[in-house]
Amino acid sequence: MSLALVVLLPFIGAILPPLMIRSGRTVCATVTGSVTLSSLVLLLIHAPAVYRGEVPVVAYEWLPSLGLRFSFFADGFGLFFAALILAIGLLIIIYARFYLGRDDPMGRFYCYLLLFQGAMLGIVLSDNVLLLLIFWELTSLSSFLLIGYWRHLPEGRQGARMALAVTGGGGLAMLAGMLLLGQITGSYELTEILGQGELVRASPLYLPALLLILLGAFTKSAQFPFHFWLPHAMAAPTPVSAYLHSATMVKAGIFLLGRLWPVLAGTEAWFLIVGGTGLVTMVIAAWIALFKDDLKALLAFSTVSHLGLVTMLWGFATPFAAVAAVFHILNHATFKCALFMTAGIVDHEVHSRDARRLGGLLHLMPITGTLALVASASMAGLPPLNGFLSKEMMLEAAGHARPPAYPWLVPGLATFGALLSVAYSARYAVHVFLGPVRDDYPQHPHDPPAGMWLPVAVLVALVVLIGLFPAAIAGPIVAGASDAILGGALPDYKLALWHGITPALLMSAVATAGGLVLLALFWPVRAVRDAMPRPEAKRIFDAIVLGAANAARRASYGLHNGQLQRYVMFFVVSVLVLILVGWQTGRLDAGTREPLAAGYLAGIAWLLLLAGCIGIVAYHRQRFLALILTSLVGLIVSLAFLYLSAPDLALTQISVEVVTTILMLLALNFLPKETVAESSVARRLRDGALALGSGAAFAAIVHDVLTRDFTSISAYHLEQSKPGGGGTNVVNVILVDFRGYDTYGEIIVLGIAGLAIFALLDGALRGPAARRLARWAPDQPRAADLHPLIPVVATRVMLPLALMVGVYIFLRGHNLPGGGFISALVVAIALLMQYMASGFGWAEQRIRFDYHVLIGWGVLIAGLTGLGAWLFGLPFLTSGFDYFHFPVVGEVELATAAIFDLGVFLTVVGAVMVALANLSRIARRAEPIPVPQEPMDYTAPVPEPATTAEGR
Amino acid sequence: MGFDLTPVLPELFLLVAGLVLLVVGVLTREGEAARVVATLSVLALVIGSIIIAASDKSPQLALGGHYVADGFSAFLKILLFVGAALAILLAQGFLHDRRIARFEYSLLVLFSTLGMSMMVSANSFLALYMGLELSALPLYVLAAFDRDNLRSTEAGLKYFVLGALASGMLLYGCSLVYGFAGTLSFDVLADAFGAATAERPPALLPLGAVVGLVFIIAGLAFKLAAVPFHMWTPDVYEGSPTPVTAFLATASKVAAAGLAVRVLMHPFGEWTAQWQQVVVLISIASMLLGAFAAIGQANIKRLMAYSGIGHIGYALVGVAAGSERGVYAVLVYLAIYLVMTLGTFGCILLMRRQGQYVEQISDLAGLSRQRPMAAAALGVFMFSQAGIPPLAGFFGKLLVFLAAVEAGLTWLAVLGVLSSCVAAFYYLRIVKVMYFDEAAEPFDTAVHPAVTGITAITALATLFFIVWPGPLLRAAGAAAAALVR
Repeated sequence: MSLALVVLLPFIGAILPPLMIRSGRTVCATVTGSVTLSSLVLLLIHAPAVYRGEVPVVAYEWLPSLGLRFSFFADGFGLFFAALILAIGLLIIIYARFYLGRDDPMGRFYCYLLLFQGAMLGIVLSDNVLLLLIFWELTSLSSFLLIGYWRHLPEGRQGARMALAVTGGGGLAMLAGMLLLGQITGSYELTEILGQGELVRASPLYLPALLLILLGAFTKSAQFPFHFWLPHAMAAPTPVSAYLHSATMVKAGIFLLGRLWPVLAGTEAWFLIVGGTGLVTMVIAAWIALFKDDLKALLAFSTVSHLGLVTMLWGFATPFAAVAAVFHILNHATFKCALFMTAGIVDHEVHSRDARRLGGLLHLMPITGTLALVASASMAGLPPLNGFLSKEMMLEAAGHARPPAYPWLVPGLATFGALLSVAYSARYAVHVFLGPVRDDYPQHPHDPPAGMWLPVAVLVALVVLIGLFPAAIAGPIVAGASDAILGGALPDYKLALWHGITPALLMSAVATAGGLVLLALFWPVRAVRDAMPRPEAKRIFDAIVLGAANAARRASYGLHNGQLQRYVMFFVVSVLVLILVGWQTGRLDAGTREPLAAGYLAGIAWLLLLAGCIGIVAYHRQRFLALILTSLVGLIVSLAFLYLSAPDLALTQISVEVVTTILMLLALNFLPKETVAESSVARRLRDGALALGSGAAFAAIVHDVLTRDFTSISAYHLEQSKPGGGGTNVVNVILVDFRGYDTYGEIIVLGIAGLAIFALLDGALRGPAARRLARWAPDQPRAADLHPLIPVVATRVMLPLALMVGVYIFLRGHNLPGGGFISALVVAIALLMQYMASGFGWAEQRIRFDYHVLIGWGVLIAGLTGLGAWLFGLPFLTSGFDYFHFPVVGEVELATAAIFDLGVFLTVVGAVMVALANLSRIARRAEPIPVPQEPMDYTAPVPEPATTAEGR
Repeated sequence: MGFDLTPVLPELFLLVAGLVLLVVGVLTREGEAARVVATLSVLALVIGSIIIAASDKSPQLALGGHYVADGFSAFLKILLFVGAALAILLAQGFLHDRRIARFEYSLLVLFSTLGMSMMVSANSFLALYMGLELSALPLYVLAAFDRDNLRSTEAGLKYFVLGALASGMLLYGCSLVYGFAGTLSFDVLADAFGAATAERPPALLPLGAVVGLVFIIAGLAFKLAAVPFHMWTPDVYEGSPTPVTAFLATASKVAAAGLAVRVLMHPFGEWTAQWQQVVVLISIASMLLGAFAAIGQANIKRLMAYSGIGHIGYALVGVAAGSERGVYAVLVYLAIYLVMTLGTFGCILLMRRQGQYVEQISDLAGLSRQRPMAAAALGVFMFSQAGIPPLAGFFGKLLVFLAAVEAGLTWLAVLGVLSSCVAAFYYLRIVKVMYFDEAAEPFDTAVHPAVTGITAITALATLFFIVWPGPLLRAAGAAAAALVR
């Protein structure tokens, strides 16, 4: 439990600083410090047990379905890191108390710092890898807050964002790696994963898992080529830099490498990638560090370089190298943290971090200067300091890492790295603290209050003490941590200053001498370097980002250009592609049904249909022609119904065709007669090809469906039509009886549609639309006789006949082709003809009828018929029928369905006529033609040339 | 045929409520109608949710077997109702400011939600199609709700034309499957195609049925805005009034995803191998397009369109797994996605300068200084959408990737994580603009309390999901178990 508390305490304690800041800055810092301290004490309680070889574990089930457990464990390695985080955290808290200015919001700073601390502890103590991952990203988030804390510096913002993008993205990549690792081992608990190294290394998923995890670790630890973000994050306040970028966050990456070392290390891929990356990072970062004038940038790149060193040691995958890595992590934390703090003191006192403007500070601030000199000597790896010890071990390990092809490569480069390390360490010492006192400091410096240099002094004391008595002070810690990694097989090593004259010592001597020479030649070398072009990772990163953004923008706007045609094209193409994909996975049986024999008549009809379709496509811009051709298609379809023994459908189809065509012709009168050409020939060809493709695909599918048997409900309806519905016209029985509900709904919809047409067209008679209408001029010449005699006579004669036919069709509907719907259309057509032949005005005067009422009555009658069934205790819309004997006429069947059909009839007539009446109103407004007054009047031919101007 | 309407009670209630409110809206005074109907609509949705929560969760058939109410549908319906209620609440201030406060808005949302509710309860292709159309038709109108605004009407028209095409495809697919199976019922379909028995594994689906299924997937993918049927999304999201966009991005997608899961897992659950390929293809394309195309966007609503496309890609990873774990993951993902997205749109609705709603990402500059809480909330949503722990979005992603890995789709999971790395980039860009760029002009201080409240609640839910995830996970687990029996 107390182990979990170690992690949770900083999170809980993070509430305190913002609250306590009101009681003063010192109280706030004290509270923050005591939170850290209690966490540290709780941790150290476990130390004895851990060094006895036990592994304290604490676990709670949290989200078992996610494989997420709230579990922590502490072995030597985890304990080592946790103690490092807390101890240095404590020093930083003290330092920050004095570093932060009066205007800085200290409470928030400490709050973020504690959050960050908790997250770091979580990483090093988590047992569950997914939990570890959560803490991993939490460090990114809280460090983002910490870095962004210094809001008034623009670099800080840039840096914070880049840091977050790089490390956050890396963390997500690691998520994938961890999932793979869990998949291989079957567990997300580190304590279980760590024992299964061989299984993991033998797995085919090893390499992807390795790469993804390394991506996370390298981005976090700023390893090449991700080394660019760290220095830019350095604009943060110095305590942050010291804490995050020396001791903790950047070490998370190498912590993870160490943690997973037993599982992942030992393969060639590991050696090449990890060792290679570490080596390259070490050298390149050291080279960059040497030429940085900003002290924090110099230290930042030196940190990257040293992290590269540790990474390289992990990469060697030998036990000795692992011990060296652990030891160097400890040493680096002490001296680098001290150096950052001294850099902060310099910045604080002098108000400049530019190495070119500094120098001679040793005389002005002797305490800080001395501490800085010792720490930088340790960074350079000079005896008798701790940096020397671990550098020796590093060189020793590098001396043994000799790939057969290039035996000198690793030792040579490692020595070169050490040489550069000496050079930049010396530069930090010489260019800042040594040399003559200047008189142009931005502010005259002196030593800061003790609270600021004491933490440095503590660290520097450690640097010296570990250097002098390594085995006594660092020995158990290093042994404990290494033991946890190596699984109990510690190599033969000795932490001591003097190992005799070894190759490592010689390499070290070369490095030191070379480093000092390099610094002596600093300015000439720098001139040469400045003259050379050099790639800068940040610029490359920015260029890549910009390029990607531009490419993405181009691609997305190219793809989504706002054109509907293009979207439709993509849609169709995608469906075709998916059909092809699906085609490969299905089972294709040959059809089982015999195809019907098609006579020559069917062939002709088919050809006509085809011609009609082609005609529509070819002449679609001429709207009248297209409309006529469409009706041709409708005609063929109704013929097909007839041919396939569905006379009722044929009748319905053809009457609907006629009505809609006439209505559309009337509407078209007021619209442009041609559509503008909008597409190029190339596009039309493309669309044509697409259409053919889809057509072929659909034809194939339809063929496939039609050539096999399936049970349909047709048989049931055929059987039940007479006994159940009392009629032999199955379609009509379905409409008014079996599916009466549907029909009822449909006539309501039809009625609404009629009313909607009325509402829309009525609007055209008012406001701006009406003014446009009044200005409207016919775009085609009008016939000389507007209402020719023969049609006028013919339609008037036909009207009663047509009405009679309507009634006939209505009455016979239940048993023979017909019914309310068709008869309504027949009646509507008869009335339409009057409008067409004799003129709107003439017809309107004679048919004075409010068609809206028809719609209402229709729906009402149909509904009441349905309700009538309730009187007989039957469900809504149940129809009843019986046979009656009438004299003369004979046996007649009367069904309630007929009344329902009457409702249908009225609604349909109403809807069609509402549309017609409104079109006629518009037409009369647009073209006020005098209404003929005589009984059989028609417009007599008017002599030329007064034709078109008539009536206006 | 039993005619027990008890399982359909939530839908019946919504239907009656909608019809009554239609009358209420007409009879109330002009200025009051929008507010009154909105309040009552939200109330209706809340009552609907309560009815569902209190109802029996064991599978119950109704309406002649075309409708099924089970734990799966109950989970999704509560999500839908909550999403719709929030979409109505979010909208009131916006509609008022734009002078388009009409009571029809709430009713259209209500009827569309009714359709969505039918969708997730569909147990046959007939019910599926009916529900889909009922949900879609009001959405077309809603997209063009700001009818004097050219972009809004264009959005509505585009959505309608493409939607009609998609729904035609879907209907065609349904009829093809029917043609080969002779049944529309999900319960009977599996047997019609030769489901596995004790002696033999399931027979391979006939080609026509596969093609029909592909059509159905295409139609649903359109509703989901999954690549390559996503083309409408950026334009429609940008053009529609912002609250409508929020509704489109949340409830509409959740319903379509629920329906897709039911169709694929219930009747076609035994033929995972035959549809997995297509789903994986769509999923990968969506994730990648969502990640890359969003990088260059300047308008935050367009960005949300691409972000939503990406999210659907991740959800489809879970669908592709074709397992109970996969369904579970999808459900959790959808719930979290709904909350995050509504919250994000709440933040977008908070951005006003001089009474005008601003939508450019660059307009967010300086938000952190002037409106620190709004900036913090949007920051939470962005981090969460990027899938960065410990925010809610991370858990959704984690679950779908786990499900994929368990189903052997390791590469899909890896690809998903990598694309979420890319996506993280543009989410973080918004955070950067909010926190680090200088403001040009001040934001308006007057805000609508409903928007602020919704944003705050969703932000807290996203932030503290980690503390109390149990209820959602348990409910999703039960829902998944109900579907994959």
